[in-house]
Amino acid sequence: MSTMPTSCREIEPHLLASAMGEATPDAVELVRTHVAECRGCREDLTRYRAVDGLVDSLRRAPGPDDDATLARAQLTSRLADLRSRMVSFGIFPSPLGPLLIGRSEMGVALVEYLPASGSLTTRVRRLLGDDAVEDRAATEGLRAELIEYLEGRRARLAWPLDPRRMRSDFQRRVLEATAALPYGAVTSYAGIAVRIGAPTSFRSVAQALRWNPLPIVIPCHRVIGSDGDLVGYAGKRVELKQRLLAVEGVNARPAGDHDFRVHREAMYTLMNGEVEYCLPTCGSLAERPLSELTLFGSRERAEAAGFGPCSSCRPDLHPLPA
Amino acid sequence: MGRVMAEDAFEAVVGAHHAEIRRYLLRVTARASDADDLSQETFLRAFRAYRALPPGANLRAWLFTIATNLGRNHFRAQSRRRRAYAAVALEAPAGAPDRTDGRVLADEARVRVEQVIGGLPEKQRLAFIMRKMHELDYAEIGTSLCCSEESARAHVFQALRKIRKGLDSQLSAGTEPRS
Repeated sequence: MSTMPTSCREIEPHLLASAMGEATPDAVELVRTHVAECRGCREDLTRYRAVDGLVDSLRRAPGPDDDATLARAQLTSRLADLRSRMVSFGIFPSPLGPLLIGRSEMGVALVEYLPASGSLTTRVRRLLGDDAVEDRAATEGLRAELIEYLEGRRARLAWPLDPRRMRSDFQRRVLEATAALPYGAVTSYAGIAVRIGAPTSFRSVAQALRWNPLPIVIPCHRVIGSDGDLVGYAGKRVELKQRLLAVEGVNARPAGDHDFRVHREAMYTLMNGEVEYCLPTCGSLAERPLSELTLFGSRERAEAAGFGPCSSCRPDLHPLPA
Repeated sequence: MGRVMAEDAFEAVVGAHHAEIRRYLLRVTARASDADDLSQETFLRAFRAYRALPPGANLRAWLFTIATNLGRNHFRAQSRRRRAYAAVALEAPAGAPDRTDGRVLADEARVRVEQVIGGLPEKQRLAFIMRKMHELDYAEIGTSLCCSEESARAHVFQALRKIRKGLDSQLSAGTEPRS
């Protein structure tokens, strides 16, 4: 053999690269010089080129199963399903302690009081599932409005809601009736039972409100015991209920060691179905069960809710002592 | 909101890459139903992770990486199943799936190439398919297979050598015998 710039062994990888069309110009030149002298490598190059050509024709040949339409349609539907279940959440401090807000594509799905300390990850996963993603940007607007609400600078949270965490049709009806309670007003669990047409189901109403997935937004804090006791809220955190009501102008005073009570004699009173609100002493109101009434902490709240002063007891002329 | 924009962008990602990823998985698994399932899974995973992806990331290579990992898990699960079947003698260990089932390919050499590719060791096969069928570069292939760019290249070259060997009988016709 005449002069060989490079041995066959050394040239082999360049030969493959050349056959596949991915060799550097230097390597191409090296291969060209080598195969001009070496018949064996020349044949190798030819074969590798043939192989590469075959592979290339395979690449271009459409396979018999190369129809992605069905898979694409299934993917689109699974993605839509995943998206609708996916919740983005934000956790932030508030006057009532750390709060979590979760929202889905449909709307706000969850508001949750979090413990002031301890690991949140497990709790958040349990609440929201593995597909939840923390996304402060997605919940920032909600956070800002909620803080305004808790500071008494906003009376309404007009948020689209995702009702899928509500557990039953009954609970949904309870929550709808509760959401209709005006800002600054309270009624009793039995009052909600009456409103949904199930007057004997006040215990079930209490249970349904206990599992309210959207506290504050759906104001279950406006529903109290028949005797005016606040009864319960967010587990054993009845003080949160007292504070939420105080923001709205409803004063509940300490009653016993662990509860607060709304005193009816300090509240403007609306007989359900009437359009005028009264002093609590008007007519036979004082004898009526709370379930038939809605109580307001102030005249402003009653009037903001669309009710006028009673023309016989005249709460506008004889307001309750502040 | 940012989220909505991200989702719209993801629609575009699906539109741009789903068909190719499915084709890749079809080549890797040789079964349309597996390619359907694994391509769906690839994009569902991608969707979950999409927002954490830095801007300007190489989306296509990223999707190939997810698809490759799913494909390899799939093979591992399959071979575990096969071993389990064999162990309890419920069934003889399954051979390679009939990759030519239902196909009539005029060119026998192409069938042979596919057979040889199908019989390659996993990394060589995946690297070769990514390089030659989907034209990913060696750095991208290395990322997908958790190996260096050089190893990726070595896998592809080794695959090509084996394919050539497998084809020797067919290709040698018409070429001069080697002296």
